[in-house]
Amino acid sequence: MGKSSIHIIRQSAAHIYGIIVRPYMTMRSIAQSGSFWELVSIGVVLSMYFAVATVVKNPAFRPFLLTRQFLALAVVVVVTTLFASGMFWCAGKLVGGIGSYGRFFLSWSYTLIPTVCWFLATSILYILLPPPRTARPEGIVASGVFLVFSTVLLLWKLVLSYLSLRFSLRLSLPRILGAAVLASGPLFLYGYWTYAIGVFKIPFY
Amino acid sequence: MNSNGDVYRKFQKRWEEITDLPPQRVGPLTPLYKEATKRLKIMPWPVFLVVAVCVVVGLYMFFGNGITLLVSILQRGF
Repeated sequence: MGKSSIHIIRQSAAHIYGIIVRPYMTMRSIAQSGSFWELVSIGVVLSMYFAVATVVKNPAFRPFLLTRQFLALAVVVVVTTLFASGMFWCAGKLVGGIGSYGRFFLSWSYTLIPTVCWFLATSILYILLPPPRTARPEGIVASGVFLVFSTVLLLWKLVLSYLSLRFSLRLSLPRILGAAVLASGPLFLYGYWTYAIGVFKIPFY
Repeated sequence: MNSNGDVYRKFQKRWEEITDLPPQRVGPLTPLYKEATKRLKIMPWPVFLVVAVCVVVGLYMFFGNGITLLVSILQRGF
């Protein structure tokens, strides 16, 4: 492993840590000077989720089925990410955004970290505390904790998405809201399609 | 001297980063926006947690035990 590879891994790790503790500064830094090689690190993080979800969705250990499921998840997530980022980039351009798709895609890919955290946690929780939740006090408390956890990650995701649009496309808040409205229609239809084909019940945006 | 040069270069890089975008203005809501975003720039988790708890309490008051159904759907969502 070369010196530059180690540098990229350290930079990716610093950026992932940064979006946790200093999202504003870190997203600005990613948008302005991040390396496209960092996408490999994000791919590795996503692969961890694919591996866990594949095993959870296929309890029987059949290598062919596991490989097929893993590849199906990977392809759908890549297509979904390209589609979602493409929609936001086009919408951002329509409302007056300035910036290349490449730089936007790099910063947008970091917004997948909250998504993958939620999907990974939900996959593991599916084994530890399988649904359905009951209406008994324990069930309500567990539901409340899960909803708080989910909402926290959703807020994190929204903030990172906002910062990605702000720094990569140099948009103001009203224009970002406009871009979100424009992109929401196609994203809703795409989310419904992934639900219909049975890959994700909650879209992996 | 070399150390001073490094400090200057870091300062210059930081300055360019900060001044790259004009400050966000949202008309009469600008002070409110500044106050809200100030707490989200560094370690935003306490704010996220407070907002999330308020949202979930609101959901519970609105849906009651129905939140368990919502969670059951979400748990199958991966």
